[in-house]
Amino acid sequence: MVNGNSTFYQEFEVFSKRTPSSAFQHQFSLLAPNAEMALVMAQENFMRREPVEDIWVVNRVNIRGLDQEEKQILNRIDNKDYRNTKGYGYLKKKWRHYEQKMFDEQEILSWGKEQGK
Amino acid sequence: MSNVVALDKEAELMESFIQRIEQGKKIEADDWMPEEYRTVLIKLISMHGISEIMGALPEKEWVPKAPSLYRKLGIMAKVQDEMGHGQLLLRVAEDLLKPYEKDRGDLMNDLFKGDLKFHNVFHMATETWGDAGLIGWLVDGAAIITQTDMLGASYGPYARALQRICAEEVFHAQHGEAIIMALAEGTEEQKEMVQDALNRWWPALLMFFGPASKDTTGASKQDATIKYQIRTKTNEQLRQSFFTKYIPRILSLGLTIPDSTIHFDEEQQTWIYQQPDWNEFKKIIKNQGPRSQARLNLRRTSYENNAWVREALSARIN
Repeated sequence: MVNGNSTFYQEFEVFSKRTPSSAFQHQFSLLAPNAEMALVMAQENFMRREPVEDIWVVNRVNIRGLDQEEKQILNRIDNKDYRNTKGYGYLKKKWRHYEQKMFDEQEILSWGKEQGK
Repeated sequence: MSNVVALDKEAELMESFIQRIEQGKKIEADDWMPEEYRTVLIKLISMHGISEIMGALPEKEWVPKAPSLYRKLGIMAKVQDEMGHGQLLLRVAEDLLKPYEKDRGDLMNDLFKGDLKFHNVFHMATETWGDAGLIGWLVDGAAIITQTDMLGASYGPYARALQRICAEEVFHAQHGEAIIMALAEGTEEQKEMVQDALNRWWPALLMFFGPASKDTTGASKQDATIKYQIRTKTNEQLRQSFFTKYIPRILSLGLTIPDSTIHFDEEQQTWIYQQPDWNEFKKIIKNQGPRSQARLNLRRTSYENNAWVREALSARIN
């Protein structure tokens, strides 16, 4: 990098989670000579204010991503209604006929907040 | 024959690149991009990154002189943030510099040689604690205007860096407001300190956004950055937006803007104001501003004095 040390820094991608129940989220990248320093730098660079529960640093050489051409395989044809709730939206009207509410995603996930007695 | 194929391929890549930008998709570091796009980004982002680091220097002068421990801690946190922003942006610049086999060490040397400029506002002197407050309030305010204009930038890594940066700028602006508010509500002497700071910084605040057209200095990044949807507003539009947002607040504190001609023309929907001395601006961008050389020297010395840290870091690789 400087004074002829042109390669000792390595690129790390930093991930962290905010709360015990949240998922890891990508933060940013940084340069460090090793994973231990990367952890120190990650905290210093990206976690000065927000609460943080855990940190991962991943050396970029260990990440296999998609190049621009490979990303083409991610394009989907819009013909998979049967995989989505969208394909079953007509049930709402049916249930109304039987005087029942539709159990949609919002309703079902809200059951997780119900407390046992 | 193979040349023709290569040209066809290039045209195809260019077309899909333009299309993606127009659809509001993001360009990522490893994606194909036209050379001009890469060059424009490198210039913009390396200057932005280096300016964050150089911008910490006028503020750090006020750490030992802050009027209370609380204020000292506040300004230290801000200085640390600015260096952090420099880190983020230099990372973005380095990924773009890969084809040229350059990194932040080269950028730092470009700065020392005068090939890479730092933002014109950071060449100015800070004389009182009022200046420290005014920088946080209005210089960071101006920076928020230009940076939020690029939050939707077509280059994904820059847009994401700006998202983080702007979130922290909110703290900086409020930190500046708190200092100014205390002085503006203080003794006569303190009130005068704020007015004096505003008087001295006003031309710098106008210059902050750069000249309206490239005729002033012979070159401007604004056309290319707008073309590639990195930013949306021209320098003048940004300056006008700054006036609209900040002039009412400045006046509300009982301060006077040191330009008796400034007013909002309803018919043109434009602020009419006295131009700053653009010859002074031209000197500043040649590193001949009031504190240009002193700050470059400070950066140079600290880069040399801290070389041992970088060497120590290289002791254990992986």
